[in-house]
Amino acid sequence: MNIFKGLINGMIAGATPILLAALGGTYTYYAGIFNIAMEGMMLAGAFGAVLGSYFFHSWLAGLLCAILGSTLLALIFILFAVVLKTDEFITGIALNLFAVGATTYLLRQIFAVKGAFSSPEILPIPRLHLAGLEKVPVLGEILSGQNLLVYLMLAALLLSVYVIFKTRFGLRLRAAGYNAPSLDSSGVRTAVIRVWALLICGVLCGLAGAYLSLGYVTLFSENMSAGRGWISLAAVILVNGNPWGIALISLLFGFTDGLGLWLQQSLPSQFTAMVPYLATLAALYFYSMRRKRLAR
Amino acid sequence: MGRKLISALLGVLIALALGALIMLLQGYNPLSTYAALFSFSLLGWSPLATTLRNAVPLILTGLSASVAFASGPVNLGQPGQLLMGALFATLGGLSLDLPPLVMIPVLLLLAMLGGAFWSGLAALARHWFNMDEFITTLMLNMIADYFTYWAISYPLYDAEAFSPMTPQIHRAGWLPEFGDFNSNVLVMLAAFGALWFLFNRLTAGYEWRLTGQNGLFARLGGVNIERNYLAVMLVTGALAGLAGGLVVMAGPHRFLKGLGANYAWDGVMIAVVANNGLVGTLLYGLFFSSLQTGALGMELITAVPGEFIQVLQAVIVLVVVAGRGRLDWLLERSLARQKARERAA
Repeated sequence: MNIFKGLINGMIAGATPILLAALGGTYTYYAGIFNIAMEGMMLAGAFGAVLGSYFFHSWLAGLLCAILGSTLLALIFILFAVVLKTDEFITGIALNLFAVGATTYLLRQIFAVKGAFSSPEILPIPRLHLAGLEKVPVLGEILSGQNLLVYLMLAALLLSVYVIFKTRFGLRLRAAGYNAPSLDSSGVRTAVIRVWALLICGVLCGLAGAYLSLGYVTLFSENMSAGRGWISLAAVILVNGNPWGIALISLLFGFTDGLGLWLQQSLPSQFTAMVPYLATLAALYFYSMRRKRLAR
Repeated sequence: MGRKLISALLGVLIALALGALIMLLQGYNPLSTYAALFSFSLLGWSPLATTLRNAVPLILTGLSASVAFASGPVNLGQPGQLLMGALFATLGGLSLDLPPLVMIPVLLLLAMLGGAFWSGLAALARHWFNMDEFITTLMLNMIADYFTYWAISYPLYDAEAFSPMTPQIHRAGWLPEFGDFNSNVLVMLAAFGALWFLFNRLTAGYEWRLTGQNGLFARLGGVNIERNYLAVMLVTGALAGLAGGLVVMAGPHRFLKGLGANYAWDGVMIAVVANNGLVGTLLYGLFFSSLQTGALGMELITAVPGEFIQVLQAVIVLVVVAGRGRLDWLLERSLARQKARERAA
C-alpha cells in the first residue's frame, strides 16, 4: 500500500511541472507558433519563485514573481518572434540560453552563490488539505494533501480544454495556427492572438517553474529545469496539442520519473535518471508507428 | 557580402551597447569592463593563443550545427555527440599506448566515431521508425549526459580523485603545444578546410545544400534524400564528436564532470547567428571565444561576474538575427523607392 501510494505521489510530482508547461505549449501550438522556449521560461519561473519567496517571505509572492519571470521571457519572445518577425526556432534557442545565463548571473549577483541557492527563509508552496476528500477510502490520502499547484494544474487542464475548444478565443486561437491569412481577413489580427497565446504560455510555465523550486524542494540550482521543457514540447508534438493526450503523457512521464527513483535501489542513479528521456523516445516510437499504420 | 558584414557588425555593436546599458544599470563602468574583457582575450600572444584554443570546440560544434541546418536535418544533438566523442577518445587514450604520430590520429578518429555513433542512432531512428530527429537528438543529449557521468563515476573512475573523473590519458595522446599555441587549432583548421571543400565543391555538398533549400526540388532532381540525410547526420555528429575529443586531448587530458559545459549549445547559437555559413561560423566562433576567454579577466579586474558573458551572447544572437531581417527589409524598401522615383522621373 505504501509503495503504491509512493508511486502515485511520485507520478503526480513528476507530472505536474511537465503538464503545466505542456499546457502552455498547447496554446502556442494551436496558435501556430513553434515555441521551444518552454525550457527557458520554466527556468526563469523557478528562479523568480525563489527570489519572491525569499525576499517577501511569502509563497504567494514567490508564485507571482515566478509568473513575472517567465512572462518576461514570453515578452522577449513576443518582441522578437511576433513583432520583429525573427525566426521562432532561433528566438527559442537564444531565449533558452539567455535564461540559463541570466539566472546563473543573477544567482551570483543577488545571492552571491554559484551552483545552487537554498535558505530556510524560502517559503514553500503549501499543501492543501481538503477535509471532504480526506475521508474517501483508499484514495483519500492521494486526493487530499497535494501541493496547491497540483490542484491549480487540474484547474488549468479543465480550463484549457474549455477555452481552446468551447470559446470564441479558442476558435480564433486554432484558426491562427490552422490558417492565419483567413483569420486576418476575417478581421481578427493573428499577431494579437499569438501574443495572448505566448502570454498564457508564460504564465503556465511560470507555475511549472514555481513547482520545481518551491514545490517538493525549496531551492534554486543552475539549469534546474533539466530538459523538462523539452519533454513538455515532445508531449505537445506527440499528441498534436490535445490537452487530454498531454495529461496522459505527462502522467506517463511522471510515472517513469517515480519508477526511476524506485529503481535506484538496484541501479546506479545515473541510469535511473535517464528513464524519463528513454520513455520520451519510446513514446515517440509508438507515435511514429501509429502514424505509419494510419497512413497505410 | 558587404551588406552582410555591415548588418553583422551593426548587430554586434548594438548588442554590446545593450550590454553596456545593463552594466550601467548595475553600477559598473562599461568601458573599463569591455577594455578588461578584450585585453584579456586579444592583446598579446598568450591571450590570443588561449582564445584560439577555446574557440576550437565552439567552432567545431558550430560547424556541425551549420552543416546540419543548411542541409535540412535539425540535429540539435551536438551536446550529446560532443560528450560521446570525448568518452570514446578518453577510452582510447586510456587503453592504447602507441607512438604519438599514430596515437593522435587514432584518438581523433575514435572521437569522430563516438559522435557519429550517437548522431547515427538518431538518424537510424528516423530512417527506420520515422522518429523526428529534433526530439530524439535532444533526448539523446540528456541520455549521453547521464551515461558519461556514470562512466566516469564507476568504470573509469580515477581512484585518487575527489570528484568524478577519469585518470589522465597516455602521454602520447596529448596534443603537442608550441609555446602557448595548442595544436588543436591545426586539427580544427584541417577539419574546416575539408568540410568547406566537401560542402562547396563536391557533388555531395551540392546535393546537401540543395536539399536544405528545397527538399522537393532536390528529390525531383534525382537526389537520394535518404542517403544524404544519413550522411549529413553522421558527418555533423563526427564534427561534434571531434570537438569533444579535442577538448580532452588539448585540455585536461582526462574526462572531467561537466566537460562539455556549454560548448555545444554555444556552437548551435554560433551557427544560428552565422546564418549557417561556414566562414561566418568560424568568425563568430572566434568572437564568442574571445568573449568567453575575456570573461575571466573581466571578473578579475572589474567586479562584473563572468556569467554576464552568457547573457551578452544571447543578446548578440537575438539582436544580430533580428537586425539581419530588419536591415534587409529597410534596404530593399529604399531600393524599391529609388526605382519608383526613377520611373516617375
